[in-house]
Amino acid sequence: MSGVLVVIAQPGPAGLNQAEGEALGLGRSLADALGEPLACALIGQGLEAAASEAAERGAEQVLSADADHLATFSGDAVVAAAAEAVSASGASSVIVARGPNALELAPRLGARLGGGCVMGASAFRTDGANVEAVASVFGGSARAVYRMNAEPRVVSLAPGVAAPPEREAGRAAETVALDVAPPAEERVTVEEPAALTGPRLEDAKIVVSGGRGLQLGENFGLIRELAEALGGLPGASRAIVDDGWAPAEEQVGLTGKIVSPDLYIAAGISGASQHMVGCSTARVLVGVNTDADAPIFRYARYGITADCLEVLPELIRLARERAAG
Amino acid sequence: MHIVICVKQVVDPDGVNSYALWGQLEVDDSGRAFSTRLPLIINAYDDQAIEAALRLRDAGDDVTITAISVGGEDVDQVLKHCVAMGCNEIIRIDDPEAGAGNALRTARLLAAQIEELGDVDLVLCGRQSSDYDQGAVPGALAELLGFACVTLGFGVTAEDGRLRVQRATPLGEELVSVATPAVVTISNELGVPRYPTSRGMIAARRRPPTVRAAADLEAGEGAHGVELVELFVPDVQGHCEQIEGATPAEQAAALFARLEEEGVL
Repeated sequence: MSGVLVVIAQPGPAGLNQAEGEALGLGRSLADALGEPLACALIGQGLEAAASEAAERGAEQVLSADADHLATFSGDAVVAAAAEAVSASGASSVIVARGPNALELAPRLGARLGGGCVMGASAFRTDGANVEAVASVFGGSARAVYRMNAEPRVVSLAPGVAAPPEREAGRAAETVALDVAPPAEERVTVEEPAALTGPRLEDAKIVVSGGRGLQLGENFGLIRELAEALGGLPGASRAIVDDGWAPAEEQVGLTGKIVSPDLYIAAGISGASQHMVGCSTARVLVGVNTDADAPIFRYARYGITADCLEVLPELIRLARERAAG
Repeated sequence: MHIVICVKQVVDPDGVNSYALWGQLEVDDSGRAFSTRLPLIINAYDDQAIEAALRLRDAGDDVTITAISVGGEDVDQVLKHCVAMGCNEIIRIDDPEAGAGNALRTARLLAAQIEELGDVDLVLCGRQSSDYDQGAVPGALAELLGFACVTLGFGVTAEDGRLRVQRATPLGEELVSVATPAVVTISNELGVPRYPTSRGMIAARRRPPTVRAAADLEAGEGAHGVELVELFVPDVQGHCEQIEGATPAEQAAALFARLEEEGVL
């Protein structure tokens, strides 16, 4: 087997997103290190824009499973299409692009192909023949290195692992149309689809997050007020999402959103590594905490050692004055 | 309804986190484990998976719950907790090769045991383990068993032979209907699990698990497609400037001045 295959499920109609570009970027560096070609499998419906973008971003072969039954994610159908793409490409390594369903797709594919998988890889190490994948463990406190002994090696990726390769207009790839039939029975059916309206936390330039230091659920209102006054979005620690003070889609961290804003203000958040995984790439990070020894100050650029319930109203006042000009 | 919960014993991730932050987390001579002595606890997501099963029982369904774990005798502690919570049966798959990085082997052992039980309608797993954070077992398990798979559930109800699962997806909440048998993973949005009752804790004390030797299960060959070869602790570089000020208003003003200099406001 030879070749690196990047698997992208349900790309958007306009082309690839950041996470999908990153997968091609890391795929390119692994392919070069192994001296193997780079292929890209697209699974979805209406894949023309994504296919030309994948070619322009360096895929030498583009395999498309384009069918109506693949318009939305179905584990059974997507795993079958991905396995077909692996077989058609003969790939030795399979990189599943980060996406809402990689958590189902990569382990199922790894089990079906027989070699298992590594989830959330941030880098590869290779001597040109053997491949090891590095992944964050213990909520970001440590890293594990996994040797991948069986081909094809299946991995899913952590965020921000590589830059998307530069786009070279007009660059073409060998194209392969995969023949995929719908599964006989749809075992999982969506009754109410997720419908996130409004701006996404991942795209926000400013994020203001709160944690247990807010002391009461109603005080999360201060986080919302400051975020709004600064033109940003509110975020939350896992602890207060579990407490029901903030909705799950506002959770920042390992099991929530991974954000990378220009400014991240963490108020009443201790800085557990599983939270920091979600925000440590912010350009400027501010911590507000009563505990001068809180871990958040190890990551923060600026710190205020004080009660966030006293500081937040002052920040809101200043932000509103500023907004009013 | 017969529900299987797959549970894992983990090194307390909060303990690991604390040691790491103070620069005291050390890897032993093997390079594959911490030498720092840390408490062993149930994976918190698995505890929430038990809670999800108990809620199905509370809703009036006739529910039998079997908890299964893979590991050595240490793991019995975790299985006793499962009894205290309200699980009916506990099984430990004794595997000398159990360890990090071998999710597919773990999934194969669990699948073999679940197939042997025969009448399982639902397998609930935590969304991932809080030690290695891989989340690779549930999907592999669904694949090996041929069960339907739903990830990131935070509410499960039974209706007309199917399950309805509320999912916490990155794009918001989603409601799906899934045919049984199914593997469903439970995410932390489910909320805090109940405490074991005193009666449950007394029952747990007298209840040894059924122990199965991994070698006796038809789990196929012990493939090592993925192998943990190294653990390391990355450096966190602190460079925090503390904002001084006599009052919160002064501190807020000083912070805003800095943020304007940085060009992020």
